[in-house]
This record gives sequence, C-alpha cells and structure tokens, in this order.
Amino acid sequence: MSTEAIPAEKPKRNFNALFGLTLLGLLLLMWIVLAVATPSFATTLNITNLLRQGSLIAILAVGQTFVIITGGIDLSVGAVVGFTTVIVALLINAGWPIWAAVLITLLVGVAIGLFHGFGIVKMGLPPFIITLATMTSLRGIGLLMTNGNSISINSDSFQAFSRGSLAGIPYLFWMVILVAIPSYVFLHHTRWGRYLFSVGSNAEAARLSGVNVPRTIFMAYVLSGLLAAIVGVLLASRIGIGNPTQGDTYELQAIASSVIGGTSLFGAIGSVHGPLIGSFILSTINNGANLLNVNTFWQRVITGLLIIVIVYFDGLRRRGK
Amino acid sequence: MTSTAQELHPAPTLAPGRTILELNGLEKRYPGTHALKPVHLAFKAGEIHAIVGENGAGKSTLIKLLTGVMPRTSGEVIWEGKPTALATPHEAMALGINAVHQEVVLCRHLTVAANMFLGEEESRFGLLQQRAMVKDAQKIIDGLGFDLPAHVMLGDLTIGQQQLIAAARATVRGTKFLIFDEPTAYLTRKEADQLFKLIRRLKGEGVTIIYISHRMEEVFELADRVSVLRDGTLVGTRNIAETDEPELVKLMINRSIEQIYHKEHFTAGAAIVETKNLSGKGFENVSVTVRAGEIVGLYGLIGAGRSEFVTTLYGRHRKSAGQILWQGKEVQVNSEHDAIRLGMALAPESRRDQGLCLNLPVGMNLNLPIYKRISSNLLISGAKEKAEADRQIADLRIKTPTRHALASSLSGGNQQKIVIGKWLAHGAKLFIFDEPTVGVDVGTKAEIYRLFSTLLSKGAGIILISSYLPEVYELADTLHVFRRGKLVATHGFRTASHEDILGQALAEKQEKSGGQK
Repeated sequence: MSTEAIPAEKPKRNFNALFGLTLLGLLLLMWIVLAVATPSFATTLNITNLLRQGSLIAILAVGQTFVIITGGIDLSVGAVVGFTTVIVALLINAGWPIWAAVLITLLVGVAIGLFHGFGIVKMGLPPFIITLATMTSLRGIGLLMTNGNSISINSDSFQAFSRGSLAGIPYLFWMVILVAIPSYVFLHHTRWGRYLFSVGSNAEAARLSGVNVPRTIFMAYVLSGLLAAIVGVLLASRIGIGNPTQGDTYELQAIASSVIGGTSLFGAIGSVHGPLIGSFILSTINNGANLLNVNTFWQRVITGLLIIVIVYFDGLRRRGK
Repeated sequence: MTSTAQELHPAPTLAPGRTILELNGLEKRYPGTHALKPVHLAFKAGEIHAIVGENGAGKSTLIKLLTGVMPRTSGEVIWEGKPTALATPHEAMALGINAVHQEVVLCRHLTVAANMFLGEEESRFGLLQQRAMVKDAQKIIDGLGFDLPAHVMLGDLTIGQQQLIAAARATVRGTKFLIFDEPTAYLTRKEADQLFKLIRRLKGEGVTIIYISHRMEEVFELADRVSVLRDGTLVGTRNIAETDEPELVKLMINRSIEQIYHKEHFTAGAAIVETKNLSGKGFENVSVTVRAGEIVGLYGLIGAGRSEFVTTLYGRHRKSAGQILWQGKEVQVNSEHDAIRLGMALAPESRRDQGLCLNLPVGMNLNLPIYKRISSNLLISGAKEKAEADRQIADLRIKTPTRHALASSLSGGNQQKIVIGKWLAHGAKLFIFDEPTVGVDVGTKAEIYRLFSTLLSKGAGIILISSYLPEVYELADTLHVFRRGKLVATHGFRTASHEDILGQALAEKQEKSGGQK
C-alpha cells in the first residue's frame, strides 16, 4: 500500500504547483518564453505595440466585468466602439474642439448604457437580448450615417495621442491605469461596488436589504457603455478614421478576458485586476503567434483552445483552495 | 421502461416487522470532522421511523449515505439480509430506496406529469406519449387523494403542492424504503394532512418510512419508533409509546423544553407602527398596532394574507386603501428603501431566495443594509466594516471560521442568524420576522427567541409571522389570526386555547374543503 501511495502523491504535488501559478505568473511566463524563443519579442517596438493592442480590450473588459458581476452581459461593446469612432470623427471633422468632441462621444456611450438599463429594468428584457439588439442596430446606424464609408479624421493632434508615450510607456497604456485605479476603488472600496456583487448574487435579498437594484443595474451598463466609448475614442485616434465596422468581435474578446481573469458568468464573482491580466494574456497569445509566424487561421483555433485550458485550470485552482 | 398506474403500488417482498435495512457501524468522516460516529440501527419493514436531532447532528449525512449520494467511511449496510455497497444514487434506487427532500428538486418548467415520469417517460417509436402520461399521472394523483391537476407547470403550484408531487413521484418507482426530509416545512395544515394520509397508506402497504422532522407533534402523530442523533452520535431509539416530548428534547439538546421558549415580558411603550384598515393584494381591512417592547404574532395558514400584509407594510407592494402610521404620523411607504429609512427591517420567509447572498462572504451579507453608514464620503471604512461584522458574528454566535467565509458554507441555522443579524446593526425600530425558524433546530430556535428579547429590551417592536402555533402562542403578546386575507380574531398572551385559535384559522377552509382547483 505504502509503495503505491508515494508515487500517487508526487504528481499531485506537481499539479498543486501548477495551480498555484497565478494568472500574472502565467503572463510573465509567456513573456519570458517568447523573449527567449523570438528575437523580436523583447524589443521596445514590439512591447509598446503589445501594450497598445492589449489596452483597448483591457478597458472594455473592466466595463464588461462590472456588468457580468451583476449577472448580466453586454454584447454591444464592440458595436459601441465602432459607432463612437464615427461620432468622434464626425464631430472633429465638423470643427468641434477635440475636448468637446471627446466629451460628447463619451456622453453617447453613457446614453447607450442608460438605454440598456432602461430595457432591462423598465422593459424587463434579458440583458443578452437588449445588448444583442443594440449590437446589430448600432452598426446599422453607423453605416447609415457614413454610407458605409470610412471617415478620415483631419486632426493630427488627435491622432498623435495614440502614438505618444510618457516615461517610455504609451499613452494608451496610461489610459488603462487611469481607468483601472478608479475602477478598483469603485468595485472594492465603495458601497456601490458591494451592491454590484449583491445584485449579482441575489437581487431579491439585496432589494430587501435596501439596495436600489434598478439603479445598480443602470450603473453597471452605463459604466460599460462609457468605457466602450472611451475605447472608441482611443481606437479612432489610433487608426485615424471613424468606421462603424471597427471593433468587430471586441465584445467577445472582452468577455473572454473577463472570464480568463476569473469572473463568473453566473455573477457575483469578479475583480478589476483579473480582466486586465486576462486581456493582456489574450493579446500576448496573438502577438506571440504573429512573431512565431503561426498561420493567422490557426491563431484563432489556438486562442479558442487556450481560453478553454486557462479557464479550466484556473477553475481547478480556485476549487482546490 | 414505462410506468403505469397499475404499477403504482410498490410490492414489498418482506413481511412487515422483519428487518429490511441494517446499519452495522455505519460511519462518515470528512477531513476535520466526524460527521457520523458508528451507528448501529435496524429498520423494520413497514415501520415509520422518525429521526430527530438538531441541525448538524448528522441527519443529512445519514440520508446521504442511505441514498448513495456519498460513500461511507466504514461500516456495513445490510439490505434484506445481504451486505450492499450503496455507493451510487442509482444503486439505492434500484434497491427501492428513495428520498423526498425539503427543497423540491424537480423541474419547475415541466408539467406535473412530465416530472412524475422524468427519466422513465412513456414513449412509442421514440416519441413521447404526452397525453397518456398526463392521464396516468392524473390517475396516480387522484389515487393518492391529492386534488391537483397533472397538466399544469410544476412551478405554478405552491411549494407545498410541489412537495406532494415529489412524494407522489417517489411512490411510483417500486419504493420499499422512503425517506422524508422535513417534508412539512413549507406545507399548509391541509397539505400536511394529505401527506400524512399518503405516508400511512404506504406504511399499510409495507413500505418502510424514515421521517425526519423538527416538529415534535408530527413525530408523535406518525412514527412507530424514533431515533435521536446528537453531534453525530445515535443517542437513543425509543418506541413512540414509551417516550414523550420532554425526553426527546432532552436527548437532542441536553436542555429542558422550558428553556427554549424564552419569554420575557416588557411594558409596552408608544406605538411604533399602526395600520388603519390597510388593504392590498391578498388582504383587506387589516388594522394592527405594534408598540415598543411587544411581539405581535400573526398566525394563519400559508396564503392567509399575513406575508402579503407585511410585504405591503414594507413597501414591496402598493396598498390599495387604508393608512400606515409610523410613530403617530401618517407615512407613504412606496419602496423597501422607504421602509428601511423609517426604521423597519424584514427577515423574509425564504432565506435562500430572499434573505441571503449565498455566494458572498458572511461579512458582506451582514453589512449589506449599513454600507451607507460605514462609508465615509465615498469610501467604505475597512476598519468599521470588519468591526461591525465581527461584532455580529460574536454577538449572535454565528459559527463561521471568519467573516470571509461564504454564506453558503454555513448551516441553515447559522444562515438564519445572518438574515436576522444584518438588521441588528442597522438599528431598526420595527422587526418583521416571517417564519424565522423554519428548518431551524431547537438550539438555534432558542437563540433566535432570546434575540427577540434583546431587541424588545432595546425598545423595538416585533411582528412575528409563523405557521407553527406553539411558537406564536408562547411568544406573542398580541396574537392576530388571519384567514383568507382578513384579520378574524385577536388574543392576548396565552388567553385562548390552541384549539380555538386553530379553529379560527381554519374555519372557512373546512367548510369549503377541497377548494383547490
């Protein structure tokens, strides 16, 4: 018996070590491996590029996480990104000062979030349905507004923002930090954050405890819409055009990042740092596959498989605790 | 495989009185706890064997072992003379062991008939014989004397009615050994009577019944023998004729029965809340006053309008007529938010559905109503959050490793303490307890009652809703009886007999018996 018990013990311990590897550890491990395996990974150009790529999804994933914590989902964020690139492009080309154009665009994001809240709270629609509806409609409205054309933004200073950097770190990544810190404080250190969790866990119990459930749901979708509009502005700045078809599948990447980061799709479980790391894991997979010259078709397959593997092992690790 | 009404009645092979199932040192250990210490017990064919004990005494563990939900650590299980592994639920069912659980585990979105035949559907050429199943299910239900339709969605029935369906379902599967786990927790008296009729009938057919309940009078009404568990140990088995309630309670908790209903009388102060001819959905013309320092009991059958009355008072539903006076001034309570701001607190009836955020930590559940108070400006004060939660955990003696443990990991009694405890820090004036001790063991009950006294001594008033007469009878200073949405009688502390009160609560129902369809 005892001779059998010892080899049975060993692999278990190895597994524990594997589970103990946090997501951040996984991200760092991927970076180290890529740095060794490819000459071009650890270059300033590639790293800043990677940070820029990951930043947009990271910001979306934070907003998405707020919504998922309440037990909902926001499928519209990719469409909101595309739509708001159009809005900001139109406003700037119409001669509005950049600050005003950006402000109005962000308000459009807030309005879309309010609409989602209205649909869910007042009309009683499931979040999946109302955000699915806006997802298709917004693309349509954007195409109608632009006649299907891209709008080139004729402002160099607007575009310069996405190329610029501070202390060697691209502005786009600074934006992630600028979003993440207040989001963290909001989620974990204010009562509204607690209310998000309570609504996702048991809306009825929250209501009977005096939590304003409708307002909490409005808040989650407004934040998601606002963050999506911020991403729309940043994307417009990065590519220099407004185009309603931009941001395709961003919503799915944001959801995937959130889930990789440990958010539960059943609600009430989630953090801010998790989705951030999740989004950079995703963009590192894409970046690494490019550098390793993996066929782009295969990249999609690999990304899908890795999502399954990461979430499965992370789930095992959590249950093990 | 098809089941028809003809196969409805199981045919136990064993003569009544012979041993059908014997536990020989059955034991269960979890890492860190010894949930069930070696049990030696023989169940006889055709007996109703009650098992009583506090929450955490090992009753659930015993059921799980008997139904094959989890494996035992050691010991022997002998079924009809042969040792059996009993390692999977499937094996238990194949032997004829079935269980009806307290929380109905059926599909709410399927019809009653579909639930009855779930897993054993009647089909022909691969197609479901839906009409035939509804017909057969109706035959079975009628045969059992339940006045329920087989074609409706299960979710459209009350929880009590669903429970009856669950029981009916268990009887159609060649059951020889049927376990009822707290079956009457959500039943009305009438439904409970129907269930008891069914149980006695099964007994008559030679089925062995294990009956688990916190309600002593049911044990004495039904059982032939009773076994008592305490802290995972079988402390005794008695013939029901040779024991009485005080002895059983003493075996269960090592404490006498007088110590449970702990009633202190306080001089009633000013009126906290007063309703004048309040009407709303499910009740009408209810005038009730609650003063500081008193418990106002609302007794009646489930569906008599008590819960509807308090939820309207609490702003959950709109009133249609009448007034609410709060400390002498008329107020409009349009939402729970308004009610809480005035100083009301509601511990709802169903802690899982309405009372708790199960997958959130204990501390967050406790602090949920008071986050506004423990935030300074925008941010939550971590120190205050910790202090408030830890104080409640200590005051209420909530058994939890830390305030970070998830509410779902606690026992039912401790969960109930959270539901009640979260209002203590809030400093409410009026506490509404809707069935606060359903599914809670005697020891925790006593603690909850003691808590009532603490609240009263601080000048609060309490509305206590209960379908369990001894509870309101022994605790309420003023007892209102509800029937069909109306307040039909009012009594003082212990001024009426149990029979009178019961009669007032039932009266009309008895005249119009079977008004279910």
